[in-house]
Amino acid sequence: MVETGEAREVHHHCLLFGYGADAVNPYLAFEAIFQSLEDGTLKDVTLENNEQIVSAYKKGTKKGILKVMAKMGISTLHSYKGAQIFEAVGLSTEIIDKSFPGTASRVGGISFEALFDEQKRRHDLGYPEETINVTTLPNPGDFHWRNGGDAHMWDPKTISSLQLAARTNDEDAYWSFAKHANEVSTKQSSLRGLLKFKSILDPISIDEVESEKEIVKRFATGAMSLGSISTESHESLAIAMNKLGGKSNTGEGGEDPIRFTPDKSGISKRSAIKQVASGRFGVTMRYLTNSDELQIKISQGAKPGEGGELPGKKVDEYIAKIRHSTPGVGLISPPPHHDIYSIEDIAQLIHDLKNANRTSRISVKLVSEVGVGTIASGVVKAKTDHLVIAGHDGGTGASPLTSIKHAGLPWELGVAETHQTLVMNNLRSRVVLQTDGQIKTGRDVAIAALLGAEEFGFATAPLVTLGCIMMRKCHLNTCPVGIATQDKELRKKFKGKPEHVVNYLFMVAKDLRMIMAEMGFKTVTEMIGRVDCLETDIAIDHWKRNGLDFSGILQPAEKIFENTEVYNTQSQDHGLDKALDNVLIDKCKKAIARGEKTAFDCNINNINRTVGTMLSNEVAKVWETNNLSEDTIEINFNGSAGQSFAAWLVKGITFRLEGDANDYVGKGLSGGKLIIYPPKNSKFKAEENILLGNVALYGATEGEAYFRGIAAERFCVRNSGATVVVEGIGDHGCEYMTGGKAVILGTTGRNFGAGMSGGIAYIFDEEGDFKKKCNKETFELEPLLEEDLSDLKGLILKHKNYTESTVADNILKNWENASKKFVKVMPTDYKRVLNEMKIKQQSNG
Amino acid sequence: MGKTTGFKEFSRAVEPYRPAKERVLDFKEIYTDHDDEKLAVQGARCMDCGVPFCQSGEGCPVYNLIPEWNDLVYQNKWEEAFDKLMLTNNFPEVTGRVCPAVCEGACVLGITESPVAIKNLEFAIADKGFQNGWLKPQIPQNRTGKSVAIVGSGPAGLSAAQQLNSVGHKVKVYERADRIGGLMMYGIPNMKLDKSIIDQRLEIMEMEGIEFYTNADVGGKGENSVSVKELDESNDIVLMTTGATNPRDLPIPQREGVGVYFAMDFLRKNTKSLLDSEHDDGNFISAKDKNVIVIGGGDTGTDCIGTSLRHGCKSLINFEIMPEPPKERADNNPWPLFPRVYKVDYGHEESKEIYGDDPRVYSISGKEFLRNEDGTLRGIKTIEVDKNFQEIPGTEKEWEADLILLAMGFLGPEEYSVNSLDIELDERSNYKAEHNVHQTSNPKVFAAGDCRRGQSLVVWAINEGRAAAREIDRHLMGSTTLK
Repeated sequence: MVETGEAREVHHHCLLFGYGADAVNPYLAFEAIFQSLEDGTLKDVTLENNEQIVSAYKKGTKKGILKVMAKMGISTLHSYKGAQIFEAVGLSTEIIDKSFPGTASRVGGISFEALFDEQKRRHDLGYPEETINVTTLPNPGDFHWRNGGDAHMWDPKTISSLQLAARTNDEDAYWSFAKHANEVSTKQSSLRGLLKFKSILDPISIDEVESEKEIVKRFATGAMSLGSISTESHESLAIAMNKLGGKSNTGEGGEDPIRFTPDKSGISKRSAIKQVASGRFGVTMRYLTNSDELQIKISQGAKPGEGGELPGKKVDEYIAKIRHSTPGVGLISPPPHHDIYSIEDIAQLIHDLKNANRTSRISVKLVSEVGVGTIASGVVKAKTDHLVIAGHDGGTGASPLTSIKHAGLPWELGVAETHQTLVMNNLRSRVVLQTDGQIKTGRDVAIAALLGAEEFGFATAPLVTLGCIMMRKCHLNTCPVGIATQDKELRKKFKGKPEHVVNYLFMVAKDLRMIMAEMGFKTVTEMIGRVDCLETDIAIDHWKRNGLDFSGILQPAEKIFENTEVYNTQSQDHGLDKALDNVLIDKCKKAIARGEKTAFDCNINNINRTVGTMLSNEVAKVWETNNLSEDTIEINFNGSAGQSFAAWLVKGITFRLEGDANDYVGKGLSGGKLIIYPPKNSKFKAEENILLGNVALYGATEGEAYFRGIAAERFCVRNSGATVVVEGIGDHGCEYMTGGKAVILGTTGRNFGAGMSGGIAYIFDEEGDFKKKCNKETFELEPLLEEDLSDLKGLILKHKNYTESTVADNILKNWENASKKFVKVMPTDYKRVLNEMKIKQQSNG
Repeated sequence: MGKTTGFKEFSRAVEPYRPAKERVLDFKEIYTDHDDEKLAVQGARCMDCGVPFCQSGEGCPVYNLIPEWNDLVYQNKWEEAFDKLMLTNNFPEVTGRVCPAVCEGACVLGITESPVAIKNLEFAIADKGFQNGWLKPQIPQNRTGKSVAIVGSGPAGLSAAQQLNSVGHKVKVYERADRIGGLMMYGIPNMKLDKSIIDQRLEIMEMEGIEFYTNADVGGKGENSVSVKELDESNDIVLMTTGATNPRDLPIPQREGVGVYFAMDFLRKNTKSLLDSEHDDGNFISAKDKNVIVIGGGDTGTDCIGTSLRHGCKSLINFEIMPEPPKERADNNPWPLFPRVYKVDYGHEESKEIYGDDPRVYSISGKEFLRNEDGTLRGIKTIEVDKNFQEIPGTEKEWEADLILLAMGFLGPEEYSVNSLDIELDERSNYKAEHNVHQTSNPKVFAAGDCRRGQSLVVWAINEGRAAAREIDRHLMGSTTLK
């Protein structure tokens, strides 16, 4: 049991439990709140006495700890306790060995003396040697910048000078920004601030260094979704990066198809990088087709272990439409991708996306953490073309406070480890390595390249050029400069222009060129992994600096194999030439080109993965804005389909499969029709047997599917538009669903509908036990209305016709009685929105 | 933090001044009573920025904890707000009245809307502190045995005095005038800063143990002179806070003679006579029934306008050599810089109320004073200038005037106090010392305020006084807890 005045924040408690505490008495935290109550400074709370305070504090802390445990994938406190899942940054081996044995700590750091010194400084604030009364303590500027408080990467000087530089294209202002950023903010708050360049080569003339135009192609803007930021800012970033020849990133909120084609004046608002995150918002075949890079976001540097969170206030009709979700309902992306539970699953998703768009490179975004090199090696073996190592000091003003301060690690560590591991395994040449996290100046870029990165992401800095002043109000929808808000009035105040981003990034490139000339590098490629050109800056005078040891990250990558190349020189072999789709596309030429009806039979085997996706991509490329008419292409498969059957199948294509299917059937279904039934000559009862694997229809946005049998677990997770009939499902069905319809003519597993905020499910609850199996936090169970019944009956009839289902037939035959056994799952918010729309229509009509 | 959506709901509203026609009849303060509810609304407008530029180096020079006290005012917790205010600012009762509010220029809300009325909040918090007796003398219980002599009792000197005394040093303040306060006493006229406010503050400082010596002309030659050498020898440190009192002249023909005065002489005599005798002694330069021209468009010029109007001048014109500033920020003057835009100060408003016109004439430069044969002033000949101050031929004009006041800024400290202390000067003839170091070429002598940085704002003087005190304490004791 720990009795301590120190523990007050969630992280402190997590740390104590993580290192074995059974109980914590944070007496000073309690006393501080007691005092607040006495002083009347507790705002907006109804706590009346100290007991209530203790109980409220315990509750809040408990929720915070649960959140942290969830991030780490741990479900019980018992497993978390003593698990020591932490990495120390900046503690000496003396402290680690004595107090945290076994904890990863890669750069050394402060000693017990420095810890004592820090304690004393804090103590002196409350008990100064002078006898003047202390009336009030200083604000340490933990989360918000304060003069004289903690150092922040963005302070008034960096923000205002960067804005001036970007708006007026004024180089002097840029140098004043870069100087302050490099010498003050970066130095005070990052590892790279403590490094300096070492001259190994002779300086060259700047004319010999590759051009700024070439350099900026290596720049990308960060994955900030439309929704988290306003249309104006999202589009400005895209326009800027398209002008520049770099890449902007959709983030995980989808993209309005209108942006896929340039406007009349040739301005393109299309984001080159289309992100595929766990929420799969708006990930349609059209979205995938219109990309140059498809980025699988495994994790976010600023808040590892958490998904995107968009508060309901920011989900207006436009955002909801693009995300296929419900206006006004907050969107929380699940921490994991439901189709990734192993490295094989990542390989499968990479393969799926490569099929969806063969010209796009596939990227996997990881975060800096100890062991990321091993993970990266696995992902490269899983055939990714591109890797992002995201650092912790990057943005998202909407991150939970615990994550802002205590989650994630510097990219310096991650990039160094990834580069070293990939080189050691001779995998580095197969992949492009990118890093991001508060990269601001040419110096930052140079250090990233020397540590091993060849591309560089910028997020906060471009936003600052567009007007962001680091309000840290992104989660409140009150951004006063129209960036992180969907409020129409506030959006009018957006004053950013794409030119501001362009100006800034060109100045960064120039800054980098000057460093390159000084160091004797003609191209960025030559710089990659040249850690011998970096050394610790021993001149930095700071009482906490002593004891830092960068030898780990400054260690040259070991080349075990002959002819190992240390930057991207070759492309991955995705094995697309073996795809069944090559045959399908060939047979469907006329259908694709002219919409001619085409139908044929085809045998299938479980080595045929991702069937129909490449075909859909071909259709989407030709049919840019309109669709093929229903059943233009009909393919009758026979056999056992491999994984990702009919993934992102587009409208106009119907797949009929006699046999069974593996995992991920109809993943991302984009309008296609999918009918699966067991072999007609089979003797077993179809409705009692599993017909398809896990995660069917994950992230489906449109289309129909009829399954004559049971689907396994995680059925229809994140469905946002498809209409599906199935005869039974496993656990976690319809989780996080935001649209579409699911008709389940049999039993369901546990935890049905967790987080479901849109769409409707009809369950044939023959046993009357469905209520016990669902997670009713977000929806209600309702009886069916007249209109529901006719809708349902139509779907069941279709199911019967397509699959010859006897279950459907029996229900229809006994409709009078059977229809009474259906339960309607109606998300509360969805119902509200539907009602609002109805009222609106009535008043308009 | 104020109210989350307060900035969207409420507009900026500043406390009104007393009606112009009424207030020009006296030298009482121009302000009206504070309205707590309206101030709370301004507090509610504060957005509690992640990076509060208002309290940064781009904003308030003393780093006032503006977001904190905005919120406390919104919550009606005035005493706590006062405590927070006193942490950073030695004389909020002065800056709340006379500061041009650099903070408001840097207020983030000002990017897209109008800034929070921060200055009014500071003003009200400070007044409440005095009225409710929250301001108590901070008497140090232990004395260090070190002594510091401070030369000059303006805002830099007084803030340094307060800071140094608070950590136990013996502080003696020397002032050549008959009243303590420097520019706060005799520079700023009474209607902008009532002198009883200064008296109240000085009373507390005396209780804290600070010694004041008036009519003590350090380095002077007259009967009130105090020997620099003696001061130097009898103290551990001498801090120069003598201000930039050397006025810029207008060396054009016929300058010599009656009718042309420096603004500071005009303002000082006015305030002294007012305080000594309510103007009964007649020891001031009167503008009554005169055609007055004020040359210089800064705050001092405005104070000359306000004072002349209160004397009952016949007409009033104000010359400014710069062109009329734009209504909104120019491209080279972006947020968070202090906005150089067209403003109507109290004197301009009063003048317009009385004569119907704004008194200001821009892009104009004096060519020659015009005098009658007996030497009395009859006016001034001017010429228009372009934005580079080049004269535009053919634009000469004669203006009638029998009192011309020169409010054209200051050129650094007056020469005499420096002589025997062996202090190097910088190229602008200020005492040479680095900001936040403040030690001059004579290691025992420190310098702060306008005499070091050149003419500036009261709030910068406070910044300098505090910084110098901190460095002096560090110098004397090896370390410091002063901020």
